[in-house]
Amino acid sequence: MNLETSMDSHVDLVELENADLGSRSERAAIRHAPIPKIPPGAPWNATEEVILRRRSIRKYKPVQVPAHLVRRIVELGRFAPSQGNCQPWSFVVVRDRDLLEKMEAHCVGVCKFVMATPEYANVHPVPALAISNIASGRFRVFHKAPTVILILMDKRGVGVPEVDVGIVGQNIVLGAQSLGLGTCWIGFSKFLNGNAALMQTLGIAPPFEIVEAITVGWPFGVPSLNTVERQTHEIAWFEDGRKEVFY
Amino acid sequence: MTNESTTAPDAPLPGGHPGRSHYHRVSIDAARCDGCMICVVVCPSDILELVGPVGDRKARVKEDWAGCMSCNNCYAVCASQAIRATQPYALPAPREQMRIGEFAPPRNF
Repeated sequence: MNLETSMDSHVDLVELENADLGSRSERAAIRHAPIPKIPPGAPWNATEEVILRRRSIRKYKPVQVPAHLVRRIVELGRFAPSQGNCQPWSFVVVRDRDLLEKMEAHCVGVCKFVMATPEYANVHPVPALAISNIASGRFRVFHKAPTVILILMDKRGVGVPEVDVGIVGQNIVLGAQSLGLGTCWIGFSKFLNGNAALMQTLGIAPPFEIVEAITVGWPFGVPSLNTVERQTHEIAWFEDGRKEVFY
Repeated sequence: MTNESTTAPDAPLPGGHPGRSHYHRVSIDAARCDGCMICVVVCPSDILELVGPVGDRKARVKEDWAGCMSCNNCYAVCASQAIRATQPYALPAPREQMRIGEFAPPRNF
């Protein structure tokens, strides 16, 4: 490319912009897109509603979720931010009843084992109660959900891959909520990492490990007719050389 | 008339655990309860049951109630707002909970 042609193409571009005033003003509109005006106390928008109405669902209708909806919510997980864009995650979707029963049985076994060790006395009262409920069969680890998404973490993630994987999970959970699906985070799924046979069946090997599972299904009833209140948390606010504290 | 059935707030945890289960107090307002049974179905720990004559059934906490984890799913699904589990998110105890305020519904600032 010589100087002359390059100059020519520049001139062409300028002429094109001048000639097409409509597209020029469109571009200006994009450049000067207004900052949205949201007055104090504005009603919740659709996304905020989804966030506020989400609950952990532990009772599902005995109906399978269409496969395309599961693909759809996992797709949302794929668009999560991650440190250094390293995307340290992978997924295993289990909808096979026999396999789900084996996973359940392993976690129940681990809970029974924990209860039989002196370590049980040192477990925080809340998970201790869950462990005892699981061991006694009162509480199902995977809540009889028709679909379970195992979220795998690549331990080689550049920063704190646990956080990245958590963001993936929140994308999945909120996406599911927006579609009317119910979900629940299953931390006890980590116990599966200790079962070599199951890990082989599931095709999970280092550097990947299970950090969380998300159960997916159609919720029983209307899961958020009433809003359950939550505690406020301290917000320290630094502005104009002053500190204020809000709750 | 309000008829509250409330569970013991300080029962021992199962399995010889030294902790006490003082968060898991479920109260049911029998005057409001219409016996629709949805809380009984939804409770993940299976601690609720229906009692009373046909046509006037009410939800009740089972005697063996220690399984409540205060998830409050029973309250979330209750059309007549007749059931609640107390203090559902004060989980850090026996550690002291810090930098924390009152319970509040969503506030749209």
